[in-house]
Amino acid sequence: MIKLSQVSKRYPNGYDALSNISFHVEEGEMLFITGHSGAGKSTLFKLISRIEKPSSGQIWVQGKNINRLRESQLPQLRREIGVVFQDHKLIMEKTVFDNVALPLIVIGMPRDEIRKRVRAALGKVGLEGRDQALPETLSGGEQQRVGIARAVINRPSILLADEPTGNLDDDLSDEIIDIFRDFNRVGVTVLIATHDLRQIDRLGCASLELSKGEISAYHAAPAFELTQEHREQSDFF
Amino acid sequence: MNFFLRQLQVLFATLGDMRRTPMSSFNTIMVVAIALLLPAYLYIGVKTTDQLASNWEGRPQLTLFLINDISPQEAQLIFQEVQLSPSVAHAEIITPEQGLAEFSLLSATSDQLVDFEEQLEFLGENPLPFSIVLMPKLEYISTDAIKELKLLLGSIDGIDSIRLDLEWVERFGAITETIKRFALILSVLLALGLMLIIGNTIKLLIMNRRHEIEVSKLVGGSNRFVRRPFLYYGALFGFFGSIGALLLLWLSSIAIAPAVTRLVLSYGGNPFLYAFSVQDAFALIGLGIALGWLSARWSVAQHIWRIRPR
Repeated sequence: MIKLSQVSKRYPNGYDALSNISFHVEEGEMLFITGHSGAGKSTLFKLISRIEKPSSGQIWVQGKNINRLRESQLPQLRREIGVVFQDHKLIMEKTVFDNVALPLIVIGMPRDEIRKRVRAALGKVGLEGRDQALPETLSGGEQQRVGIARAVINRPSILLADEPTGNLDDDLSDEIIDIFRDFNRVGVTVLIATHDLRQIDRLGCASLELSKGEISAYHAAPAFELTQEHREQSDFF
Repeated sequence: MNFFLRQLQVLFATLGDMRRTPMSSFNTIMVVAIALLLPAYLYIGVKTTDQLASNWEGRPQLTLFLINDISPQEAQLIFQEVQLSPSVAHAEIITPEQGLAEFSLLSATSDQLVDFEEQLEFLGENPLPFSIVLMPKLEYISTDAIKELKLLLGSIDGIDSIRLDLEWVERFGAITETIKRFALILSVLLALGLMLIIGNTIKLLIMNRRHEIEVSKLVGGSNRFVRRPFLYYGALFGFFGSIGALLLLWLSSIAIAPAVTRLVLSYGGNPFLYAFSVQDAFALIGLGIALGWLSARWSVAQHIWRIRPR
């Protein structure tokens, strides 16, 4: 699903964000990326969604070498990957509905279908009835949920979440991570960058530790069985 | 989704955005309106000059003097032949008798002509030939066309000589040509200025919506998707600007028309001010939309691709 081979990233100012990283993530896997600030977690996500290009090495997403994608092919790649940003990246002048609907508007989906999907996505993240609110009237946790709803609205096969629980208390963090867990249970490949090691222990997922742009540790996840309850949750997708 | 439905959605969304910023949208539209109004004034000026010139009795005249011993029937045949020429707007035959009567009338007011009348009495007969006075059509009053017409008429049997005030024709041609060229250059410059104004406004809009563009690209928006509203902005600025220009034109013509009428009447002319036709109005609207769209496209091409998601 996602494969990196000897990937390095050096920024124009000479800073080496990643050095010779290689790993792969299977379809339907949930992987936590941990590490201190500046370890290279955000850069890793930027490379996978081709916001940045690696200085060297190759990256494959769903079998495609994304280094070779032309500028005109990038929108298609980004439609297949849902990204939740640490700073939410919401458009403050637009309503929650318009923010969540954006990935569907860019592909020209009919208005009725958009309305149906936005309602379902907001329901999934616990924001029913807030569709006409402006993001600035929402709390940090609610804004994060809007970001998650936007990331999953397009039914992506890969979900990247960069510090989704960064400024949230433990209970709220658990709720947010559980949402990702639910999506993963229905087959979505999920990568979460976090400082919060408690979540890895709680969910028992695989984790990859980065330190100064290099992989310093990898912990595999215990085997996971798909239950009937999880299959029912897949109705959303 | 249907292509046209999607375009309509963007159009209405852009109209909604314009409504949300009424003052800045109004200001831009008024600047566009004024920039379009000036070439419209020039167009009216040129058209009015053309129309006045075509009605003006001072249009160049050619006088054809027929040979002396020609019969009235032969003179009539030559007159008919001259009238059939496609470049002749109006022709009139003057018999020797009419010529003499006109001459006598003129001599009553001129001392120099009194001597000539005495000489005529001495001759005892009317020496004046048949003559034809003709007015060329407006499109044939350029120097070259008049010379060509003179050459053509000179080849008709029975015509002795042709008199033409070429200096006046040249002066008239030079004046109208200068006005037209001046109007054209000024219109092109104003159109360029208009494009820069709209282009700059679109650039500011792009910069104001930089974050929105970045987010749109992050969630899979193509450059085409991102630029579409700005193209509509440009076209709508052009559309509303041209409507504003037509409105200002109508209001200003109400204010100017009486003054123009008084001025033309004081010169004994036929009062006339060219009025915009429906076709002219549609052409102005089309021009406004085209210039707006082109300026937006130019601005978008310069700035959108530089905005990359971070």
